[in-house]
Amino acid sequence: MTWAVPAIGLVLVTSLIIGVYGVRAARSTSDFLVASRRISPNWNALAIAGEYLSAASVLGLAGLLLKNGLGTMWYAVGFTAGYVAVVALVAGPMRRSGAFTVPDFAEYRLGAPRLRKLCGFVVLVIMLLYLVPQFKGAGVVLSLVSGTPYWVGVLLAGLVVSGSIAAGGMRSATYVQAFHYLIKLAFLAIPAIYLVVHAGADTRTEALHPEWETHFPQTTPVEFSVATDFTLNEPVTVLTPQGEELELPAGSHSVARGTEYVFPAGAPIPHPEDLPVLGSQRWSTPLLDVGGYPLFETWSTLLAITLGCMGLPHVIMRFHTSPTARTARRVAVGVIALLGLFYLFPTVYGLLGRVLTPHLVMLQGTDTVAVVLPAHAVPGSVGTLLTAMVAAGAFGAFLSTSSGLLLALAGGLSHDLFQGSVPRLRLAVVIGACVSVLLALPAQMIDINVLVVWAFTVAASTFCPLLVLGIWWRRLTLPGAATGLIVGGVTATGAVGWSILLPTPSGWVTVLLAQPAAWTVPLAFLTMMVVSRFTRPPEWAEHAVLRLHSP
Amino acid sequence: MSPRREKLTSPQTRIALARGNRPVQHLQPVPGPVDTEAARALFRAQRRTAVRTVVVLSVLLFGLSGSFALFPELGEIRLAQVPVSWLLLTVAVYPLLFGLALWHVRSTERLEGEAESVDRGRSTARGPSRRRVDRRRRSKGDSSTGGEAT
Repeated sequence: MTWAVPAIGLVLVTSLIIGVYGVRAARSTSDFLVASRRISPNWNALAIAGEYLSAASVLGLAGLLLKNGLGTMWYAVGFTAGYVAVVALVAGPMRRSGAFTVPDFAEYRLGAPRLRKLCGFVVLVIMLLYLVPQFKGAGVVLSLVSGTPYWVGVLLAGLVVSGSIAAGGMRSATYVQAFHYLIKLAFLAIPAIYLVVHAGADTRTEALHPEWETHFPQTTPVEFSVATDFTLNEPVTVLTPQGEELELPAGSHSVARGTEYVFPAGAPIPHPEDLPVLGSQRWSTPLLDVGGYPLFETWSTLLAITLGCMGLPHVIMRFHTSPTARTARRVAVGVIALLGLFYLFPTVYGLLGRVLTPHLVMLQGTDTVAVVLPAHAVPGSVGTLLTAMVAAGAFGAFLSTSSGLLLALAGGLSHDLFQGSVPRLRLAVVIGACVSVLLALPAQMIDINVLVVWAFTVAASTFCPLLVLGIWWRRLTLPGAATGLIVGGVTATGAVGWSILLPTPSGWVTVLLAQPAAWTVPLAFLTMMVVSRFTRPPEWAEHAVLRLHSP
Repeated sequence: MSPRREKLTSPQTRIALARGNRPVQHLQPVPGPVDTEAARALFRAQRRTAVRTVVVLSVLLFGLSGSFALFPELGEIRLAQVPVSWLLLTVAVYPLLFGLALWHVRSTERLEGEAESVDRGRSTARGPSRRRVDRRRRSKGDSSTGGEAT
């Protein structure tokens, strides 16, 4: 772990240097704004991918794969497929509308400044839901590598990201974020390839055969940081901290917070309640199966992520840096290639993690698997170096995504909700960071991906119908759009919030609340269309639509 | 004219500052296209392409996940030790998504190219090409508010 802190520092310093150098380069041109639109499509695609690949992709996917099984990779497919929907439905027309943000587009298409406040509010909700898991991820990584408690890590992450925005590290956003994409790809791919090559044939074969059951690879001390219920399939003799032997019979057990057991090598992994048995049929079938309705859960999540991608405010904004609608679409295709390349690697950590670090499941710490795994797999300084690389890559993910999100959030606060001025924008960055840190503090036990998908679900139920209908349907009216935004936003935010924060009745209701996109997205579309049918679109509505589709 | 030194800020800051307290004017719809019928035809063609892509995407995503649910054997057949269903989900799907996006872009660019050549054919009779005017107007719009000036 000793090299991780300098590695993270290096990523941070290099980002700041590129930021400052990028600003100098831009000053030499006569007009910065025009220059910003002449960014080559390749750089632009790298930057978009760099901003998009967040802690959910770098840490969350591998962790959730280890915990819930192969179906997790549908998240990655959804994150990528989202850009296919963006190419097909919004990239070109959004560029032609001349709108920077979704609120801008709403105003262009429906001509009502008051809708902008509503949109600005939705932007706030989505951005906050997206920021909290980023801070959680950064907190987890920083506390792991520096040995401090989780809350110190989160606070530190808040300070670092606000500081780097204040120092101008994200000004030349395109180059910094392109650099971050390369960092994330290299620092996840190189350790992954090294681990696969050096794990040995036995480990590789075991990783591909989940049906051989999962055992502790070595004598493993486990300290339960929360009270845990787990089940054992066969009796296991563990050691207590006092050195006494304790036989745990087969069946269910409840351990109190702070309990410590040392499990012997070769003992089967106990599995916590509500989670699939590691390596079971449920784990290895590539469908999302948390509540018992795998196909529904997979489809609903796919809907949320694929459609939510086009409603993410910071994604939409980036297409404005393309000179034409044609380039905007091509850039989005480039992003798909870059994302597809990146998403080949998280699987490696999840699969090897089941063999080498299965105890993380009991600790509810699976989000850390990508950082913890290299040191377990390769002892000595190489392992330490690889851990440092993954930690730095994860930190890069956090830095670029959260900076982009904070800027979008601050822009939304000062631009759409209040009158803008620079001091207010700075204040908005600080407020956004503070709120995210405060919300991330109690979120240690919630999976990064659960929170990220929440943000995607809200985006899919609000901005996705607004953009799709606004671009492709000339009869959309202001009352229709406003009602649909409210209905979609309230149901999506409420349903997922309920399922995370409050106890839910079992069965179908749980699944419908945890994965609500399958009903909230159609509901939002339907509301917008029905209400629009009862109201009259303005006369220029058709021209506003046609202009979005003419070269 | 020497270039004015500008304070460099994020895009949102720039719009916010440029706009200040005034309502947005540059985003109001411009008068309609010269040839409404041609624009409508192009819109319909673009919509057909978009619907086609979304349908193929849905078939790919829902079909693949559906086949995992319907045929659990996909997890037992192995290719170089790796279960076929794992390969499909973690590797094979990405080239397919990329190909689909590329196909869509090719189709819409062909549609727009056809519409543009018709447009150009008409405007040469009228004098200066519309494209050049458009370009000049766009760069002017950029330096002030970031949108196309009305």
